[in-house]
Amino acid sequence: MHKAYKISILIFALFTLLLLLSGYMIFELKIGFEAKNVLSYYMGDAKLFTPAKTNSGILKLSLPHIFAFALLAMVVLHFLIFTKFKYNFFVKVLIYGAFISAFFEIFTPFLIINVSELFIYLKIVSFFLYILLIPIVLSLLFVSITQIKL
Amino acid sequence: MKFTLVKDLRKDRVMKPILSGFLVFTLLYLLSDIFVKQSTFGIFPHAIETSLFGNEEEFLDGLSQASFLELWHVEIFFIMMIAFTTSTVYIRLSGASKTALLAVNIMLLTALLSLVTLALAYYLSPHFIYIYVSSFFIWHIVAFFCTLISLKRLHYA
Repeated sequence: MHKAYKISILIFALFTLLLLLSGYMIFELKIGFEAKNVLSYYMGDAKLFTPAKTNSGILKLSLPHIFAFALLAMVVLHFLIFTKFKYNFFVKVLIYGAFISAFFEIFTPFLIINVSELFIYLKIVSFFLYILLIPIVLSLLFVSITQIKL
Repeated sequence: MKFTLVKDLRKDRVMKPILSGFLVFTLLYLLSDIFVKQSTFGIFPHAIETSLFGNEEEFLDGLSQASFLELWHVEIFFIMMIAFTTSTVYIRLSGASKTALLAVNIMLLTALLSLVTLALAYYLSPHFIYIYVSSFFIWHIVAFFCTLISLKRLHYA
């Protein structure tokens, strides 16, 4: 890989971390990480005078995220092709893990309001899994670009 | 990305119009971004300070933390995608020269700095607005010239 691309990728990694940080902050501020917070955010809370979320309301918020999650995962993951970890089994786990966690992070709100409140746990787990897997991919890129021996 | 595989982009009859279209839209985005920011959020320190913190004399409310985080989140995503694709095309068309490398690094780092200082201005001190404004203009100007030079190299070099 050319040096110019290596520097761009490292800066891109910083942008990605900033994006994940802002996503984490929004989740913490608007929803909260405890199960009861997630439940009251989607099902509404009479004490806090917050209404329950509707399917159309959730879809409106999901729409840009469907594209953004996929694009971010694709761009970040495709850099792995240029690394020595390309054919590693762990990379396959990362790829499938990132897309599956992104899918559940986006679509579990529909399951929470339509199927069962238990899906709040899947929502929390998938959110943390996604924001954990992306930095792991970035660290593999960092190791590969800076040629640190593991 | 196919354009990283094509040997000479300027001679490729498929990639040339695709990249030209992309670069023209990037120019339009960079210009529109400045005009939209000017009419909504502000592009100069006083206007930005009023947008972020409000103004009692003019009975204007500041941005709530939730609104600020949403704005910041969207900005990060758009800037990273625009800056990264622009820099990739520019590096590819300029043959990764030292000047190109310098321009790309300045663009990416100032874009990153503008995002970080915007958050610092909101959470820590309004003084960071000045760094935000400077870095905002620097990255837009550098990105604009990188895009123009890429277009020139694609058609006239």
